[in-house]
Amino acid sequence: MNFYLTGLYFLPLIVGGILLIAPAKISRPLVILSSLLLSVLALLVFFSVSEPVYFSVPHYVSQLVAGADVLMLMYFLWVALQRKSLLVGILSVVQLAGLLYILKNLSGGETLQFMVDRLSTFMFLLINIISGIIAVFTLRYIDEEECSAFRKKFFMALLFWFIGAMNLVVSADNLEYFFLFFELTTLASFLFIGFRKDAVSVQNAITALWMNQLGGIAILAAIFFIMYNGYGEITFTNLLAHTGADGLLLPLALLSIAALIKGAQLPFSKWLLGAMVAPTPVSALLHSSTMVKIAPFIILRLSPAIKDTPVAMVIVGLTGFVFIASAISALSQDNFKRILAHSTIALLALMIMMGAIGTPVTIVAALVLVLFHGISKCMLFLNAGILERVFHLKQSSDMDRLSESGPFTALVMTIGFMSLLLPPFGAFIGKWLSIETLGALATEKKLLGALVLVAVAGGGAVLSLLYFKVMGLLINRTGEKDQLRFENTGPYYSATIYILLGLVLITVAGLPLLLTYYFAPVAAAVHGSPVPVLNEGWNLFIGTMRIPLLPMLIAFFLLPVTILLAMFIRFRHADRAKEYMCGEKINYSFSSFYFSTDRAIPYFSAAGILFFIALIAVALI
Amino acid sequence: MNDYLIPVLLIVLAPVIGGLVYGFERIVKARMQRRIGPPLLQPFYDFLKLADKRQMMVHSTHAFLGIMHFVSLWFALAVLLLGGDLILVIFLHLLSTALLILAGYSTRSIFSHLGANRMAISVLAYEPVLIIIAVSIFMINGSFDTALVFAGNEPLLYKMPLAFIALLLVLPIKLKKSPFDVAEAHQEITGGVELEFSGLFFEAVYTAKWLDYIFCYTLVFLFAGSNILLGLGLMAFTFLYLNALDNSSARVNYKQMLRFSLGVAFTLAFINLIINSLL
Repeated sequence: MNFYLTGLYFLPLIVGGILLIAPAKISRPLVILSSLLLSVLALLVFFSVSEPVYFSVPHYVSQLVAGADVLMLMYFLWVALQRKSLLVGILSVVQLAGLLYILKNLSGGETLQFMVDRLSTFMFLLINIISGIIAVFTLRYIDEEECSAFRKKFFMALLFWFIGAMNLVVSADNLEYFFLFFELTTLASFLFIGFRKDAVSVQNAITALWMNQLGGIAILAAIFFIMYNGYGEITFTNLLAHTGADGLLLPLALLSIAALIKGAQLPFSKWLLGAMVAPTPVSALLHSSTMVKIAPFIILRLSPAIKDTPVAMVIVGLTGFVFIASAISALSQDNFKRILAHSTIALLALMIMMGAIGTPVTIVAALVLVLFHGISKCMLFLNAGILERVFHLKQSSDMDRLSESGPFTALVMTIGFMSLLLPPFGAFIGKWLSIETLGALATEKKLLGALVLVAVAGGGAVLSLLYFKVMGLLINRTGEKDQLRFENTGPYYSATIYILLGLVLITVAGLPLLLTYYFAPVAAAVHGSPVPVLNEGWNLFIGTMRIPLLPMLIAFFLLPVTILLAMFIRFRHADRAKEYMCGEKINYSFSSFYFSTDRAIPYFSAAGILFFIALIAVALI
Repeated sequence: MNDYLIPVLLIVLAPVIGGLVYGFERIVKARMQRRIGPPLLQPFYDFLKLADKRQMMVHSTHAFLGIMHFVSLWFALAVLLLGGDLILVIFLHLLSTALLILAGYSTRSIFSHLGANRMAISVLAYEPVLIIIAVSIFMINGSFDTALVFAGNEPLLYKMPLAFIALLLVLPIKLKKSPFDVAEAHQEITGGVELEFSGLFFEAVYTAKWLDYIFCYTLVFLFAGSNILLGLGLMAFTFLYLNALDNSSARVNYKQMLRFSLGVAFTLAFINLIINSLL
């Protein structure tokens, strides 16, 4: 086993353990150092692994894993008893029964439990670098949290354990192991969401728990059906080796359901929206680098097997619907974090859709979206934390005049939103690739393709409107204060924000290079055949897809640069006029509009449930 | 090279042609009301007058965004006329409008804010229809390239008549014509976003409206494909229709507008799309 890999698994676990007991003086340098070390390790692994690395663990570890599985489910049962949640109780019992049955019938042969391929290393980079940055940010954030010293330490420890669990999830090949790690992330997010211990937190934590438990049950059911149909080893590798075989569609559908639940797709979006009650670093963590990113990961891993199947078509329909539905729901939100959460769900839908279509270009699109969404969302959520702690703002409608009191935060948030929306940022490229490849889908599956195209393009338009609405608040100011002085938010906050800002800018500047040397090899490994990326003149070719770079470049100067310039430009030779107020002398307070789309949400959920039923139905037929 | 001559000329002269269209429109509208109306070149006289005014602004952010609205709209128009990707064109157009909305939000003026909010709602009202038209065109041509549409032998009008009607229904929203001119509504919110612009800065917003004329009439022209005669006919018809409607209808509020465009125009375009994708 690769030495660096070992570090990725054990370092977070050990650091988490130390953080639990170490005094604050030690924990600060320790967190910074280990975050750095994890990032370096992830980079080293990325460069050292080009062919899939398989490795197994000794037999006693298997027993240990089984024991841990049972223990964790026992804990869930205990939670159910303590919180008097019948749902969690039933689900835990079902999980326990399923697990015991599977353990009993598991063939004893030597199997390879772990596989690290390019997709895993791609995820390592995202998980470790972004979560590391969040960990450093959290050092300061959690200091200001009102809770006991031990719980602060527990929070930091949990964060590192979460990173460890994520590293394990993306390298598990054996589905039983995958189940354990999958549920470990569920456990971690349950503890995180319930961290503040008030009634709402506890309630939302329980919601997150039972929804994700359903995902766990889906995985167990998938394992059961693989064994039942006699395909032997319950590994991803084995599953992919039997692509197209009879009776494997159902396990694939079940695993996709697990992914869709983790990815908070309708009707399971409630758990992610409820997660907002937790301290803000948790949101940053769940949204950008961990937890929800398991969804595109699973779909990408399965994409060679599910593409062109009816299951994939249902997933495409569902995610297309989720994309526009969550964009519409986002319009009614005022809480800044909830706006971000809805847009996460929408973008996740797009990633999952691209993974499910599974052509080389769509896989590139999915990977581009996973990475860039991770960086941008992390930056936005950390800023939401700063808003909360430094400026005491939670509602977006209160954010007017932020450009006067906190111009730097306003600037960074504007860049964050632009990086989710405008050319030439990665998220735009991802959306562009999606729309163009959906066209290819539309030439075969006409009606579905047309509807999904409308959903994605329409949802995109609605989301851009939403982002501009928030940017409008960030840019709002009077003409009296023309002097700009950037605020000081303290070393931990500003350092992390600077790093993220740097990442956003570097990745956008190096996008053509990244596409060739970073995304294309990963996509090739996922798809199983090389993905050619060519840079010819002013065009970038990915397979047969052409991205014209010249309009992108012009659009870059016209849009993002314009908005940034607008914040800084000062015309010297124009006279000033006061705003027209009909002669009134009142100080108005400005807010933003929102639409009451709440009434539509039950219908959205109902439609989501129908899609899930359809998913199972097509797999059974 | 000849293929590019006409589009490039159109792009370069777009503000001038747009100004002429506007001037002509004022005459036609006046004649409909049995007035004589201003001379054809009145918009340009206004233009020169504005250039001579004292430069005033609320703050630079606001003024600059107004100018960039004009520039980015021109760019979107250029991509459209050069046969670019229709989705990209719609997106660029959306963003150029968004810059103006952003300008509206950037000041602390109530009317500016009201106008920006209403403009955002207008975008929500017409954008879905434009997107469906783009997707319908894709289903017919197998590509989003407008170059293919301009070269197409059979006019799109025959294949997507309902979409054309839908376009006619949302164009008044886009061009801020009665009954869908809530975004501007001079009597109510004194021009909305435009209010806080003056002098040279207003010039940009003012001429951007002329560009919008060219943009919209090009969209209409798309439905005729390479049949130039039909295209001119469609444009003339749209022109008369818009002005007659503007003259004869009263303003509705934004809720009615949204309900109408999403209920009627969107449905029409959607039915057309389904028919196109099933055939």
